[in-house]
Amino acid sequence: MTRFFVGKASEIPEGEKKIIEANGRSIGVYHVGDQFYAIRNTCPHQGAELCRGITTALITSTRPGVFEYEHEGEIVRCPWHQWEFDVKTGCMIVDPKMRTKSYEVTVERYNVSIEDNHLYVHL
Amino acid sequence: MEATEIKQREKRTKMKRSIIDVDIHHKTELEDIKPYLPRAYRDQIDLWGWRLPGSLWLNGGVKVGQMADSTPPDGSFPGSNLEFMRKQLLDPYNIEYGVLTGTEYFCQASPDADYAAALCSAINDFTCDHWLANESRLKGSVFIPKQDPLLSAKEIRRIGSHPDMVQVIVASGAEKPYGNRFYHPIYEACVEQDLPFTIHVLLEGLGINAPNTGAGYVSYYPEYRACRPQVMAAHLASFIYEGVFEKFPTLKVVLQEAGVFWLAPFLWKMDEDWKALRFQTPWVKKKPSEYFFSNVRVSSQPLEPTPNMEIFRQLMNAVNASETVMFCSDYPHWDFDSPLMAFPKLEDDLWERVFYQNAAELYGLPARKAQKEE
Repeated sequence: MTRFFVGKASEIPEGEKKIIEANGRSIGVYHVGDQFYAIRNTCPHQGAELCRGITTALITSTRPGVFEYEHEGEIVRCPWHQWEFDVKTGCMIVDPKMRTKSYEVTVERYNVSIEDNHLYVHL
Repeated sequence: MEATEIKQREKRTKMKRSIIDVDIHHKTELEDIKPYLPRAYRDQIDLWGWRLPGSLWLNGGVKVGQMADSTPPDGSFPGSNLEFMRKQLLDPYNIEYGVLTGTEYFCQASPDADYAAALCSAINDFTCDHWLANESRLKGSVFIPKQDPLLSAKEIRRIGSHPDMVQVIVASGAEKPYGNRFYHPIYEACVEQDLPFTIHVLLEGLGINAPNTGAGYVSYYPEYRACRPQVMAAHLASFIYEGVFEKFPTLKVVLQEAGVFWLAPFLWKMDEDWKALRFQTPWVKKKPSEYFFSNVRVSSQPLEPTPNMEIFRQLMNAVNASETVMFCSDYPHWDFDSPLMAFPKLEDDLWERVFYQNAAELYGLPARKAQKEE
């Protein structure tokens, strides 16, 4: 496994993402809560740049007309057909077998200042 | 030589096995149901006639849609003579059970819901008295004034517990797609009485109902028939997208007489769109096809002939026919499907599902009384 430098943690505020190149692969790095997640920027459906889609919540419901939001910031909707994927796992919500690759992300502390923490993805 | 003999023996055995026919139209002549109406309506009919909408299109056969050889010897309307129905249909085709689906749907296109309710009650009582009481092989359908779901629910609760009533029936022509919440009191009553809800093609574009296609009215009867799946498709999508099967998980819906095989690509399309647009209707928790397979059944006639057996088998698989398709003849209508000839040869297990078990399970009908196989 090789690690690739993403940037400083402070470059990706919570709820946002950054698309990086690592070893020739385009990868989306997401900051959700106090964690970082990385998924391949390719939709397994028809090959769109998945991470350019909207980052949003999972919408569930108990009955018609009711919309409940959960897992805020953990869902990416592909820009082309709006298939929803879990940024934590790379799995499609309604069909987990349909997935894009996910990668481990680590935060390595080189300084006491949290702004200077470095992010790495591991391929 | 030996193989041929076995094949022929199998064929003979199969013809001896009884079947369930889920669409038999018994005639409920208006004059015959009139005595069952309250006096006020009988008086109105005497003064002003029946005030029911009629078809705007031609039909097939004779006497508006009937097989030319189905007129009973007494000259009565096809489907109105039980003894002749026994001779022409029930006995020769070894029908263990048949579901009667009536004829007088036109009240379901009337703007007068109370009148429609009175007519439906009259039809239901007439069917109990003159058909279900006289032939234990025949089961009944509860007609409802679908214009008014509360009156419909009342009728389902009034007559639906009759042991020989096995389903609730409406025509496909409607003011709103049938999954709409407007209709939910009907499904509450269906579930309570454990009765499937059957949508039978008819009345599209008539009376108070919506035009028979989304593009407007068609001109000709074959064109009208060709477009029936469009209306049925709207009802099916409505049941799924309005969340009816989440609200009423035990409700069963039967799609009758709009064909079978168009459902395959329609289900594929709904599944694909659901993947993309799930979050717009998050109360639809499963793939649309899963709701179809668990809650919807489809009767076979008029079965679309396929260009070859390979396509036939693939389409049968695509609609999961071994669980969803139920044979019906549509007797005595002109486009009757013969129990012996309408289907190409089916594997034995599949034949048994389509010609008996799927209907027996849906309607709670018993196993065959006598096993007539050799």
